Amino acid sequence: MTGSAYAIEGTALTRPYGGFLAVNKVDIAVPHGEIRGLIGPNGAGKSTLIDVLSGRAAVWSGQVRMDGRDIGALGAQERRRQGMARSFQKTNIFPELSVREQLDIAARKAEKPNVEEVMDELGLSELGAARARDIAYGEQRRLDLALALIGRPRVLLLDEPAAGLSMRESLGLATLLRDLAQRWKVTVLLVEHDMEVVFSICDRITVLQLGRVLAEGTPDEIRRSADVVTAYLGSAA
Amino acid sequence: MSRATMNIAAARVASPRLSHLSWLLLALALAVGFGLPGVVASVLVLTLLTQAVIGGMLAVGVGFLIRQNGVVSFGHAAWYGVSAYCLGLLLRHDVLSVELALVLALAVPTLTAFLLGLVIVRVPGVAFSMLTLAIGQAFHEFAMKAQGVTNGDDGFAIPLPDTLFGLPISTVQQPETMFVLCWSLLALVVFGLYVTVRSPFGRLTEAIRENEERARFIGYRTVLPRAATYAISAFVAALAGLLFALYNGFVSPEVLHWSLSGSALIMAVIGGSRLLWGPALGAVIFFFLKDLAGNMTEHWPAMIGATVIVVTVLMPAGIAGTLAELFERLRKAGGRA
Ligand SMILES: Nc1ncnc2c1ncn2[C@@H]1O[C@H](COP(=O)(O)OP(=O)(O)O)[C@@H](O)[C@H]1O
Ligand SMILES: [Mg+2]
Repeated sequence: MTGSAYAIEGTALTRPYGGFLAVNKVDIAVPHGEIRGLIGPNGAGKSTLIDVLSGRAAVWSGQVRMDGRDIGALGAQERRRQGMARSFQKTNIFPELSVREQLDIAARKAEKPNVEEVMDELGLSELGAARARDIAYGEQRRLDLALALIGRPRVLLLDEPAAGLSMRESLGLATLLRDLAQRWKVTVLLVEHDMEVVFSICDRITVLQLGRVLAEGTPDEIRRSADVVTAYLGSAA
Repeated sequence: MSRATMNIAAARVASPRLSHLSWLLLALALAVGFGLPGVVASVLVLTLLTQAVIGGMLAVGVGFLIRQNGVVSFGHAAWYGVSAYCLGLLLRHDVLSVELALVLALAVPTLTAFLLGLVIVRVPGVAFSMLTLAIGQAFHEFAMKAQGVTNGDDGFAIPLPDTLFGLPISTVQQPETMFVLCWSLLALVVFGLYVTVRSPFGRLTEAIRENEERARFIGYRTVLPRAATYAISAFVAALAGLLFALYNGFVSPEVLHWSLSGSALIMAVIGGSRLLWGPALGAVIFFFLKDLAGNMTEHWPAMIGATVIVVTVLMPAGIAGTLAELFERLRKAGGRA
C-alpha cells in the first residue's frame, strides 16, 4: 500500500446525464478499512457515484484515486485487478451459468482464488450446480455479491446489496458485511436505503442530495443533522 | 445423426475433460462418412450430400458465432469466398506449392477476420449484423470490379495440380471421395469446436455472451475473446470455401455474395445453433428441400422461407435442438421407469 490514507477517493467528480448533473462536484474519501454509508433520496446520484468510481460510467470531470493513485483512465477490468470490486443495484449475474461455474470464472482472475470460502460465507454452498436463473431472488442477490467478493477485494463498492430482501435477510447480510470487512480488511462504500442497517454497520455516512454532498459524519452526527432530517430522513419517515 | 450424438452435444458439462463417449462418437461419425458412399449408390445424391456438407460447414461457422458470441453474421460468405479466391489466385499465378497455398487460403481470412473482429465485435446486435453484411458486400464488389485480378463477374478456373498431398487430384473432384473428405473434416471441425466450447476459453466467451458488463467487472477484457471467437468461426467458413474451390475447380463472385451468407444463416436457423452440429443438419435439410422443390417449382425459395417460418415458430431451438430436447425427455422418462 502507498502513503495515502484513503483507499478510495473521488475529488470534484461530475457526471451529467443529458443537461442534468447526476453527480455534481462530489468529494468523497474513504480511509482504509472504513465502512462508509452512502445515503440520499431516490435519484440523488448514489448509483451514478458508484458507477463513476468503479469505471462503469466515464468521469466527466474530477479524479478517482485508489491508494492515492489516479485510476480515472483505467477500465473496469483493470480496476478489478487493482483490488476494486462492486455489486449492482439491479442484479447483474450470468443467468445461464451455474453458480459454481461463474464463481470459478471470476476466480481465474484472482491471485488467491477463494470460491469455497465465498460460497460458504454467503450460504451458496448447496447451490453450486444450480443455474443462476433458477435460484431464488435472495440467492441471486448474494451471488451478485459473491462475484464481487472473489479474490478478497481491498475496496468494495456495494449498490444496495439488500435491495428487495426481507428485513431479516437485510440485517443478516449487514452483519456478514461488517464481519467480512473486518476480517478481510476491506474498505467498503455501501449504498443502502434501510437506515437501521446503515446506522448499525457504518463507521461514517455521506449524504447525497441532487448530485451534491449534503452532509458527512458519524452515524450519530448524521442522525442529529437538521439538514439531513428535512432532506431525507424526514421525508422517509 | 445418431441419437447418441445428440446426447453428448446436448450435455452441458462443466468439466473440460472429454468423456470416452465423445471420442467414440467422433470415431462413429468418421466411420459413417467412410461407409456412406458404399450405401448411397446414386452419384446424384452423393453430389448433393457433398454440397450439403460443404454448405453445412459454412453454416456451422455461422452457428458457432451465434452460440458463443450471441451475434448474427450476415456476411460469412466473405471468409468462405476470400479463402476460395486466395487458393485460386495463388495457384493461378503459380507462386507457391499447392500445399502452402492451402495453408495461406485458411490463414488469410482467419487473420483478417480477427483484426476486423477487434473492431466490429464492439458493435452490438443488429448493427454488428449490418457491419458484417457491408464487409461481405465490399469483398464481393472488389471481386466484381477488380477485373485484372479476379476476372470480374466471369470468375476463373483454378489450375489445380495433378496431385494433392500425394493423392490424385480426382480425390477432391469426385463426389465418392470428396464426400468422405468433407464429411470427415466436418466431423473433426465439430469435434474441435466441442473441445473449444468446453475449454476455459469457451466457458469465458459464453459468460461474456451472457453478460459482457459483468465479465468486465470480474476482471476480463472482453474484446479479445470475442474477436477470437469471430476468427474461429471465420476459419470454419474459410475451410468450407476452400473445399468448395477444390471441388469445383472454379471461383466467381458468387462465393462472396450476400445470398450465400443468407443461406448459411437459414441453415443455422433451421438446424438450430445451440448444438454445434445443428447448422449442419440444417444444411442437409436445406439442400434436399431445395433440390426437391426445385424439381417441382421455380419458387423453391418460397418453400425454404415457409420452412424457416414453421421451424422458428414451432421449434425455436431449431430441429437439432428440438430433437435433443425430445431425447433428453425420453431419457429422463426412461430413467424414472
Ligand atoms: N444511464 C442514465 N441515463 C440517463 N439518466 C440517468 C442514468 N443513470 C442515472 N440517471 C439519472 O441520474 C440521476 C441520479 O440517478 P442515480 O444515480 O441512479 O440515483 P440513486 O442511485 O441515488 O437513486 C437520476 O435523475 C437519474 O434519472
Ligand atoms: Mg441507485
